Order: sequence, then structure tokens, then C-alpha cells
Amino acid sequence: MRGLLLSLGAVVLAFIAAPLLIVVPMSFSSAASLEFPPPGWTTAYYGAFFGDARWTQPTINSILIALAVAVLTMAMVTPATFALVRHRFAGKSTINLLLMLPLAVPHIVIAIGYYAYLSDLRLLQTFPGVILAHTALSVPMAFLVLSASLKGFDRSLERAAMSLGASPAATFRHVTLPVLWPGFAAAALFAFIQSFDETVVALFVSGRDSMTLPRKMFDSIRTTADPVIAVVSTLLFFTVAALVILPMLWRSFSRSRS
Amino acid sequence: MDEAAGSPAVSRRIAPQRASLRPWLLLMPLLVFLAAFFLVPLAQVAMMSVTEPEFGFGHYASIATDGFYLRVLADTFATALLVATCCLVLGFPLAYAMAAASPNMAAAMMIVVTMSFWTSFLVRTYAWMVLLGRSGPIAALLDWIGLPHGELLFTRFSSTIAMTHILLPYMVVSLYAVLRKIEPSLLRSAASLGASPTSVLRHVVLPLAAPGVVNGLTLVFVLCLGFYVTPILLGSPREQMVAGVIGQQIEEFLNFGEASALAVVLLASTLIVLGLYHRRFGLDKLWG
Repeated sequence: MRGLLLSLGAVVLAFIAAPLLIVVPMSFSSAASLEFPPPGWTTAYYGAFFGDARWTQPTINSILIALAVAVLTMAMVTPATFALVRHRFAGKSTINLLLMLPLAVPHIVIAIGYYAYLSDLRLLQTFPGVILAHTALSVPMAFLVLSASLKGFDRSLERAAMSLGASPAATFRHVTLPVLWPGFAAAALFAFIQSFDETVVALFVSGRDSMTLPRKMFDSIRTTADPVIAVVSTLLFFTVAALVILPMLWRSFSRSRS
Repeated sequence: MDEAAGSPAVSRRIAPQRASLRPWLLLMPLLVFLAAFFLVPLAQVAMMSVTEPEFGFGHYASIATDGFYLRVLADTFATALLVATCCLVLGFPLAYAMAAASPNMAAAMMIVVTMSFWTSFLVRTYAWMVLLGRSGPIAALLDWIGLPHGELLFTRFSSTIAMTHILLPYMVVSLYAVLRKIEPSLLRSAASLGASPTSVLRHVVLPLAAPGVVNGLTLVFVLCLGFYVTPILLGSPREQMVAGVIGQQIEEFLNFGEASALAVVLLASTLIVLGLYHRRFGLDKLWG
């Protein structure tokens, strides 16, 4: 029974990994259509990606939008998280639920809301429109990550600093922030990725000038199955690999040193 | 859990009168923002469902009586249930293997699961188009075995398998969270008291894993109900899911009323499932 479960587990792990890995050889395939294994090899589609503004511009747009989303999200979520973790007040659990709501509402539902609402505000198909929508959607994950890290924070450190005469601002800068920065960084990264990957709302509210990368990919997969998709997928795959694996290596490195 | 227990002493010393106002000042920017850029657009969807093009509940009446909409809703629920079940069946052995593995091995397996979680939906959807395509490896394998198969892509099968793959990390993480907490000594004592491996699994492991199972099933089911991208790109055009129909009503027919009414039905279904979960377990546990 146990052996069966373990070997099934290995099969499932392969099922998870195989589709992630297949995009890498596909990106070097010379075939103009979906064909695996590839009939020949080329790097031409990498040139096609980096040399074509129809691909590079949405990529740049997505990075800029995601950066703005991360900054805006952190600016609002940070004080809110301190309020919710460190204070007790009436209505707290309702506020908690409200902050989680964007995670509970299917994106297609809020996408048509944004479509109508942002066009009333004349923000449809603009950068601010996409940024505002994505910021609302990234609030829950940033809040979850930040509050988890804040709950684990030992407040006696702050009390010690203040009893030694540090002002609240100095305490925050020299005690709270240095301890919590991995939590802040993780929350900001979650907000960035949430925006960078978001497809459904972007399909409805981003326009020609504010076109995001997922929207460009969606259009391309739907209409032509352009081989450049495999290139984009491979680049995204290695970016994610770096983001997942590097912090783990760094953590085990710093652990082995200490 | 709650750090607030120690805070009154400190905050009273810093700001004696503002103690009760302070959290609200800190919350204000986010609350105003969410009201303006989440609650209002969400309310607008509900409004449009009864005002576009004219006031009335006609759209809801047509959803309740039209065979097409009823079939789409039934298909959506059936698909979400199927995907949640597939995720459980596949996720359990993997989470079990991770809990049984050495710490290093478990970490390596977790990297694979995490990478899948973080890889864009679109990348994973595209990968399944390659795998299931007419000149893809799975068709080649089936041909080689001599198994007759029709078109694999753009069917209910292809969208179900891709959605299962995309949502599986949620299930694995939910299950792993409970399975790794089970003490190995508990399993050993059950075995030493004469329980067969199967009955250890049934009477010890599964009951202890139940919260994770409920967690994973709820997450996957709810996320699957609202899936838009994958069924459109991979699924059969004849068997749409409700999110796809909502998008189509806007893109092709500019029918905001009907689209909004369907969206309200989808939202209500999602919130009912989450509400039931919340009453029983508390929503803050769902996302771990």
C-alpha cells in the first residue's frame, strides 16, 4: 500500500513537471507549428521575440505596471496590516474578510465590472486603469504574507528599543524593518507577480497602448499559435525558477554559515 | 495568534487619547481604495444585471428557464467537481510521498510544486496544447501503442486535464500541510497493535488528513468554477464553462445585462461555497 502510494507520488510529480519542461525544447524548435519532438533546432524565435516591438512593448508594459502595483499595494497594505495585527477594535473580522474578498471573487466577474466602471471614469485601456484594477486584486496575497510575518514578530524587541529611549520612528527603522524585511520583500513580490501574470482583467481593460504580456500571449495562442509563445514561456519558466530556487539556496547558505 | 494583547500598554504610553482611532487611520487609505476600485465596480455588475438595457429581472428569468444557460451552469459545476476529484486523487499520493520523504527530498519535491504554482496559467495552458496536439507526444504514444484516439485537443478532456494540472499545486499544499504533521510514532503504534497498512491508512491517516482534504477540495472547486482562460483556449467550443459564456456575451454581443446576471450567479455560487467553509472552519485557514 505504502509502496504503491510512493510510486504513484513519483508519477504525479512527473505529471506536474513535464508540461513545465516541455516549453524549453519547444522554444528552440524549427517547426512553425506545434510539433513535438521538434524536427530541427533554431534560435530564430528568440530573435523574433527580442526584435519585435509587438512582443517587447507588452513585456515592458507588464513590468512597469507590476512595479507600480507592487509599490501602490505595499503603501496601502503595510499600515493596514499593522492596524489589523496589532490592534483590537470593533469590526476587525469584517475588515479582514473585506481584504480577502478580491481573492474570492472570480476574475471574470470583476473584469466586466472594471470594464464598465473604468470606461465611465475614462480610464479604460489606460495604464492607470490596469494598475488600479491589479492593485485591488493583489491586496489579499500581500496582506496574507505580510500579516503572517508580522504575527511572528517578537514585540519585546520594539519595547526594549523604546524603553532605551528610541522614538517610534527610529524603532520602526532600526528594529522592526530590519527584522521584517523578508516579509515585506515577499509581499511586494507576490503583488508584482499577481499583476504580471494576471490575464482575465487585462483582457478586458488593457488596450492597444497598455497591452500587457499575458494579453499578448492570450491573443497569440488563440489566433496563430505563434512559436514565439514557446520563447516567452521559456523565459518566464527560467525567471520563476530563479525566483523559487535562489531564495532557497540563499536560506540554506546563510543557515550553514551561522 | 493575536499580538494585540501586549499592545495597549505601549500605545497608551505613546498616544493616550487616539488609541481607538489609530487603527482606523492606518486602515483608511486601503479601505477607501478598495471601496472605490473593488466594491463599486462589483456593485456595478449587480446593478447592470437588473438595469441593462432596462430595469427588471428578465435576465435572471431567462437564465432560470433557458436550456442553454442551464446546461452551461450544470456543465461548469460538473467540471469543477470532476477537476477537484482528480486533484484529490493525484494530489494525495504526492503529498503522502512528500510527508514520508527525507527533509531534503521533500524540499526538492516542493520546488517542483512551487514552480508549477508560480508558472503563468498561459504557459501551462500552452504546454498542454503542445502535449495534446495532433503532432504531439501523447498522440504519438497512443498511435505507437495502437490505441485509437480522436482529436485530443479542444475537447472537454483537454481542458479538464489542463485545469487539473494548473490547480493541483493548491491541493498538494493543502494535503501536505496536514500529512506532515502526523506523527510517525502514531502510525507505528497502530501497526504494532495489529492494524494492516490499509487500515492504518483508512483509520489513522485519512481522518487526520480530512481538514486538508476539505481545504483542497474547496479551493480547487471554487477556483475552477470561475476558470476563463484555459477552457477558452483548450476546451471544446460547444461545451463552454460559465466564465467563457460571460466573456462571450460582452465581446461578441455587448450584452452587459445578460453577462452581469450570469456573473452574479457565478459569484453567488462561489460565495455560497466559501460561506459554508467559513462557517465551519474560518476562511483565514483556506489560503493557509
